[in-house]
Amino acid sequence: MNPEDIKSAVKKFILNEYLPGEDPAALTDTTPLVTTGILDSIAVLKVVSFLENQFDILIQPHEAVVENLNTLSDIERFVAAKKA
Amino acid sequence: MLAETYKRRDVTTVVPAAEQAVPRFFASNLSRSAQFLAILAQFALIVVAIHTWQLETQVLDRLMWLALVGFVIHHFLPPRFRLPFFAMLSLLAVITALGHLGPNVGVAWLTGKITTSGLLYQLVPGLAVIGIGLGLIGICHLPSRFGARVGLLAVAGAGLAFLRAHSQWFPDVTEMWVVLGSMFMFRLISYLYDLRHQTAPFSPSRAISYFFLLPNVCFPLFPVVDYKTFCSTYYNEDWPRVYQTGLKWMFRGVFQLLLYRIVYEYAPLDVSKLTSALDAAGFMLGMFLLYLRVSGTFHLIVGLLHMFGFNLPETHHLYYLATSFTDFWRRINIYWKDFVMKLFFYPTHFKLRKMGTLWAMSVATMVTFLATWLLHSWQWFWIRGKLLFDWKDFSFWMILAVLVLVTAIYETTHGRRRALTPSHFTVRARLMFGLQASAVFCGMCILWAYWSCQSWAEFESLMDAASKPSWREIAIIFGVLALVCVCGMLWGQSSRETSEGRGTQASGAPFHFWRSTAAVTVGAICLVAGPSVATWTLPGTKELIGRLHGDVLNAHDLALQRRGYYEELDLGRMDDWRCHDAQEPEGWNAGRKMFYRQRSDFLMKEIVPSVSTVLGGTAVTSNRLGMRDREYQKLKPPNTYRIVLLGVSHDVGTGVKEDQTYENLVEDRLNRHYPDTHYARYEILNMSTGGDCVLQMLLRLERIGFDLQPDAAMMSVAAVDQQFLVEHLRKCLTREIEPPQSYREFLDGIYKKAGVNGQMPDAAIERRLVPYVSEIQEWVFRRFAQQCTQRGVHSVLIYRPAPMDFRGVEPACRRETVRLARAAGLEVIDLSPAFDSVADRNRLIVAKWDEHTNELGHRLLADKLYEGLVPLLFPVSSIQPVSHFQTP
Repeated sequence: MNPEDIKSAVKKFILNEYLPGEDPAALTDTTPLVTTGILDSIAVLKVVSFLENQFDILIQPHEAVVENLNTLSDIERFVAAKKA
Repeated sequence: MLAETYKRRDVTTVVPAAEQAVPRFFASNLSRSAQFLAILAQFALIVVAIHTWQLETQVLDRLMWLALVGFVIHHFLPPRFRLPFFAMLSLLAVITALGHLGPNVGVAWLTGKITTSGLLYQLVPGLAVIGIGLGLIGICHLPSRFGARVGLLAVAGAGLAFLRAHSQWFPDVTEMWVVLGSMFMFRLISYLYDLRHQTAPFSPSRAISYFFLLPNVCFPLFPVVDYKTFCSTYYNEDWPRVYQTGLKWMFRGVFQLLLYRIVYEYAPLDVSKLTSALDAAGFMLGMFLLYLRVSGTFHLIVGLLHMFGFNLPETHHLYYLATSFTDFWRRINIYWKDFVMKLFFYPTHFKLRKMGTLWAMSVATMVTFLATWLLHSWQWFWIRGKLLFDWKDFSFWMILAVLVLVTAIYETTHGRRRALTPSHFTVRARLMFGLQASAVFCGMCILWAYWSCQSWAEFESLMDAASKPSWREIAIIFGVLALVCVCGMLWGQSSRETSEGRGTQASGAPFHFWRSTAAVTVGAICLVAGPSVATWTLPGTKELIGRLHGDVLNAHDLALQRRGYYEELDLGRMDDWRCHDAQEPEGWNAGRKMFYRQRSDFLMKEIVPSVSTVLGGTAVTSNRLGMRDREYQKLKPPNTYRIVLLGVSHDVGTGVKEDQTYENLVEDRLNRHYPDTHYARYEILNMSTGGDCVLQMLLRLERIGFDLQPDAAMMSVAAVDQQFLVEHLRKCLTREIEPPQSYREFLDGIYKKAGVNGQMPDAAIERRLVPYVSEIQEWVFRRFAQQCTQRGVHSVLIYRPAPMDFRGVEPACRRETVRLARAAGLEVIDLSPAFDSVADRNRLIVAKWDEHTNELGHRLLADKLYEGLVPLLFPVSSIQPVSHFQTP
């Protein structure tokens, strides 16, 4: 899967679920999501479920961490690594 | 094995790009040099502020100076030597702090005052901690299966826990257990977790630095630093930003610790003294605000670690402005939240997710809070030496769990307002934040008060006090909540909720070095110079500043040694942890039961005649008449002027020798100077009994004292002794002890007016009696004057100052007592100025765990009493006979 496709799907999910009404352009690849509280611990669980279902991957508890989920780029890199 | 391969390149990097930019200080980079000098100056100012305000312990003071010197060396070292240097500095701190080694010890050793073996002996506790710690780290890296290593660690941990529970077996290293526990009880779990998942690099320097973290030796309550974050944040940004952030946080920590002291000293934290709904609200607010100590120390700790390159994230984030209970859980002690989320919440949720998100979340939340409760008990065990399994703690954590869960489910099903930038929130949304913040603040105040109350009865008493608010009180409470609401509108939107991650700030956030430097410098200068300037310009602030200096227990806590979970884990108030472990040295008051015996009547207790024992760490002997005094004849000898003294334990002379009590010093002086030549001898018979209230003093005089044929009777009263009065009446009520016939009518009237009976909770009885203290004192003083006059005895009231005015009640209480005494026709000798010459009131108490007046205090009291007593009792020149007293 194309990295841009991953980012695009995740971005769409986050905008729909957590940032309705926000300008999509304001959510860039490097916008911090976890460290700024946009994705809290409960939201992280939903994102994990989404990633598992959307990209057919299995995520372990210790992988649901800020390093893997803080930005769209982090998420894309993480998903790509899981699929590799 | 320690340098195991770090497999996950996508997670952390330990030698980050920023380190490449480490400056060459001896090059001509003026700007960088200026920045470093500014940082050094700020650090020095903060160290001086901690020293000036005597924050926490003397050990912290020494550690800060060590850290300041270490910081300079660390900064100028080549990058590869920095982490090993920090590890060595941390080990040095452990050895010096646990061995109480300061420069004075070094000088003493050099000058031969301490032998080499004596010096080495002092190293034992620190070396023991290091040895055990290195052993535990070594087990983590044994070349065996991970499960086997964990099993071995569990066995080792159980063995150490057993020894901790029996720390009295090793009296020479008692205090090491607290430090050892604090370093390893949680961090070992975090370390193993990352070792298991290989999410961070491992090396000896990193392991030693991580476990023996420099400030840990001063703070048993220490943030649970995540190992992976510890590694990944090391110099992950340019050093001026890392250091300056640390300084900012250290300043914030110092400021919060001072705020805490204000709350601690001035908030109404004694349930039994709450007389109104406003007091009750103040108690709840005060108890919640006491947590400032924890957040303050955590800021100080993490700030200090920044000075050595560890760019750790924030530990607490505006937790008083949380907009929901879930939000509160996210903001308060973020490190802890992340720790239990990682270990319990996520694994449980991931295991149960097939049940559905809400069910999995519910079970995982309850498991997480249950684990939090158990781990808090575990922490209590290592710090205090025994497990804490208390229904109150359990119910607190479970109530909080339910509140968090309910709001989490609501957020899951209804969503939570989020925005990419705070400015996107409308005024209406901000108003909602403010209202939510007020509601959560109010709820947490109540819940925290519940957690902090000693018993259900005390909590009931608190609710009782809060149950009938006046409109004015309601207005004030709403005013405070409105203030929280406004702050919530401005800052309620959370911007941080995790301790993990690469940096402390959002990436790319602007950083203004010189602006931050100016703010910290001005703030620190204010803290250092503020007290002097304030006392010079506003002399009235002297008392306030004096009370905020140093760190001692307030009167209530000193009496109870019980202040809620975090307060009780605060060992900072003790010079060393050995003292705290024992609270008072063994045998300090060993003889109390031998010296005092119970009575079944209104007097309740008395001193046993002719016994010798230890009280207040000092030998005490009672005379044949049942007084802590010299031997006297029951019948007054001819040509003798006899005074009886009625008082409490301070007047008994608890903690000082018999010849050092103020009454004996005055007696000796009278017998040296003979102020009235009619008398060949002067006697002061000390009828004082520990814990007596004025009613007991009066009855003691009436039943025993008048039989001793006194010429004068002195009743010694102090502000804090009022507590004895309400306690005594409460005991009489609950134990159904009848007052003397002549007191009954008056006391029944008081009971009726106060609405108290023996079936009520103790705290409620005392709280309701407090408003009648003045009325009872007035009655006692009038009766005292009347009874003495009838017998031709000179009645004198002594107002005796407490060595330490913990609650600032002294001036008002003194005024009231003196006014009532004079109105009752008593002569008054006000000893209040006796201690004016002593700036540091710590010098006037027997020991930190015993606030009784010490030898110096007794001497000063004696001087003042003699000065007031002679002109009062012997107003006419010694050449002329005195006629208005009973002639011997």
